[in-house]
Amino acid sequence: MSSLEISHLNVTLGKKLILNDLSFSLAQGQIAALLGPSGCGKTTLLRSIAGLIQPSHGTVRFGNQLVSLSSLVLPSHKRKLGYVPQEGALFPHLNVAENIAFGLDRSIFTKDKIRQITKEMLDLIELQGFENRMPSQLSGGQQTRVALARALAIKPALVLLDEPFSALDAELRADLRTDVIDLLRAQNTTAILVTHDREEALVSADIVALMREGKIIQQGTPEAVYSTPISLETAIGTGDALVLAAAKMADGSTSYLFNSTTTGSEVEKGHIVIRPEEIKIDRDLSTATAVGLIEKIDYYGHDAMVSVDISGQKLKVRIPGPFDFVLGERVSVHHAGPVRFFADEIKM
Amino acid sequence: MTTTVTDNTRTALTKDARNQRAIRSVLNGAVGIVAALALIPIGYLLVRSSQKPVGEIAQLLVRPKTLEVLATTSALVLSVVTVTVVLGVALASGLHFVKLPMRRLLIIPAVLPLAIPSYVFTYTWIALIPEFSGFFAAVFILSVTTLPYVILATLAGLRTVDGAQIEVARSLGLSIPQTFRRVVFPQVKGHISAGALLAALYTISDFGAVSLLNVETLTVTIQNMYRASYDRSAAAVISLVLIAFSTVVVLADERVKRQSPAGGDVKVYSTKNSLINKVWMRFAVITTLAIFAFVAVVIPFFVLISRFFSNRVAIEWGELARTSISTILVAAFGAIIALVLSTPLGILLAGSKTRIGHYAQRVITIGHGLPGVVVGLALVSIGSKLGALYQTTFLLAFAYALLFLAKSVASMSSSLSRVPNSVKDVASTLGMNQWQVFKKVVAPIAAPGIGLGTILVFLTAMKELPATLMLRPTGFDTLATQIWSAAAINRFNEAAPYALILVLIAAVPTFLVSRPDKSDRTFIQETARSPK
Repeated sequence: MSSLEISHLNVTLGKKLILNDLSFSLAQGQIAALLGPSGCGKTTLLRSIAGLIQPSHGTVRFGNQLVSLSSLVLPSHKRKLGYVPQEGALFPHLNVAENIAFGLDRSIFTKDKIRQITKEMLDLIELQGFENRMPSQLSGGQQTRVALARALAIKPALVLLDEPFSALDAELRADLRTDVIDLLRAQNTTAILVTHDREEALVSADIVALMREGKIIQQGTPEAVYSTPISLETAIGTGDALVLAAAKMADGSTSYLFNSTTTGSEVEKGHIVIRPEEIKIDRDLSTATAVGLIEKIDYYGHDAMVSVDISGQKLKVRIPGPFDFVLGERVSVHHAGPVRFFADEIKM
Repeated sequence: MTTTVTDNTRTALTKDARNQRAIRSVLNGAVGIVAALALIPIGYLLVRSSQKPVGEIAQLLVRPKTLEVLATTSALVLSVVTVTVVLGVALASGLHFVKLPMRRLLIIPAVLPLAIPSYVFTYTWIALIPEFSGFFAAVFILSVTTLPYVILATLAGLRTVDGAQIEVARSLGLSIPQTFRRVVFPQVKGHISAGALLAALYTISDFGAVSLLNVETLTVTIQNMYRASYDRSAAAVISLVLIAFSTVVVLADERVKRQSPAGGDVKVYSTKNSLINKVWMRFAVITTLAIFAFVAVVIPFFVLISRFFSNRVAIEWGELARTSISTILVAAFGAIIALVLSTPLGILLAGSKTRIGHYAQRVITIGHGLPGVVVGLALVSIGSKLGALYQTTFLLAFAYALLFLAKSVASMSSSLSRVPNSVKDVASTLGMNQWQVFKKVVAPIAAPGIGLGTILVFLTAMKELPATLMLRPTGFDTLATQIWSAAAINRFNEAAPYALILVLIAAVPTFLVSRPDKSDRTFIQETARSPK
């Protein structure tokens, strides 16, 4: 049974329709990444799931419990979910231990039990000995950990993470992300991670859902959304992409920069999408399908992004290091990967 | 099976929605009552004025005496605002940007005059120079009394300007004055305006200083009409003129605030590393401060203390103690009523933006410019019809609460707005209902600010004179009325002990409010950010 099921959800804020007939579901223990540019409605969706916003239409179900039916909404304090907003939002007047224990109902748990859970959580986030620190005395990464512990302490069926790592620098971000995802997996918790970082979404999630303008336009495993995007938009949304003009031919083949030998008539015009790592370059000009000139090399250490000019068409190619290409060199360029053709929309 | 589940949850959800609506309507109702209470004075004045024939009202408004008083009031307000803005901005900038010895402590002489009510200040100067009187004397007294408001508000604004911006401006080739004009001033003009607003409202509603100095402003006219048992409707008409005048001032301030950049999250920056180290500037700032402190603090204290000791034998200690205690009690009572009245609005505004909350806040904020004499006049007339309430300390305390409700609401809503929404959301997802969120998260975070606001209301109520004169029960005296009645008949020695006690009690919260030991946000900063 799915652990979260959203169907035909509409949310209007002010006069603007923020979520537009959105449907989405998630199985127990799955981690989903909501990926999209700012303003596409990611946070609104999360807040609707948390019961912090009143939808105008649609239903939200946790397991077999209906929590939201049109504008009838189960208030957030009865939903028992873990919510980690941007930058953590720790209670500034409480120390670390009090923050973590905040959601533990004293009429249900004994003092000892609360202390024990708090200690378990501190072990989990590896902040033993920080019980009495105030939030202002913690680093950004530590604050995020405490916010997560606070959410997990109530053993929620669902955890909602709203760009929890956005305030951190790159290295800390990757480390903490790995820790957090491991933690969620260890507890078999269903979770939704909101992010606008494509890499973060692909690395962390079982399901990547791409959002645009209040709708989910594609969802699937990270591999699926990356390698078989359903449109130009989702292709660009999930990773670096080269977009080349192309045409579908009568014999079923696709004519584009690396395959100009096709004959016959064009059936429809469109574009193809190539991932930068699917292009190879070498010095053997004799076998070349295309010859290009190296214009620019952005060197990153483990790999490099090389800009190649093929008779006016500029391509960015990802080359693993080490290599010895130099600026101004003429190279042979090959395409080794799937041909993803998307027909242009016909303008009426 | 699915349908039954749906039906059950539908019932549960509907019940929840009903509960939430019930809580909300109770809150809305409470807020509506408070807004209605806040409208009592204006409502009374409108009703009372309307009992007068239109012809008579017109005659009253255009008679030379009214026009003359209006002109005097305008000239006084303009002069005081000009003097305080020029001096206040200069002093605040000096304190903020110039490298001075013991910078933090230098702010004490700049804010201490807040503890000295204008009438005490006036009386010490008259005791020193018996001929001290007239328009320019009033400009001097009121400027010195209100200068701390402008200094504190400007300082609060300057602290929100990132020092790095100034360094960028300098590196782009701007001189110090150019940097101030083009980078600093546009960012702090809203704060300066807030300080100027406080100075203007103080001047408009001041009764003690101007009447001791024989300057007739609208406030004095109303008080005189009331005391001469002159036609109450006429007093009501002049009160409406006074309210119109205050409203113009409040609107002018809102206009300036609209033009200044909207402050989202206020950060407080340190200027430690970019202080100006020029000898003439340091000299100028310290000299100006010293002169101000001498005029505004040293002289009054000198007069009070020397008068106090000159007739120590004649002091009635029992009477002094009784008056002090009753002053503290009635002022504290008023502050607590104000706190209670502003709480439902606070909870409502902390929850979410609601239309009724917004309107209630606006109604109450208008009361910000309501002079004591107007509230006094309204309540004394209504109270005389209520019998049991008339001539009670409760009515007096209630008058204080109405007078300073805007202050209380402003401090409450700005303290509450410091509680981030995300924090409330988290508490709610962790199983806290609306009330628990307020109790366990919102209140603890906002409490220090609200407490400080309540202390400020208490302090202001303790010094209040015109409404107290009208509403106090027969035989009931506060420190303010004792000082007033002694000073009005030139018995300076008798007033001294009361004045000294009042100033000393007021000095404690004044110190707390400015907290020179902390460069953190002050109450004045909260006032400067008070709701639009």
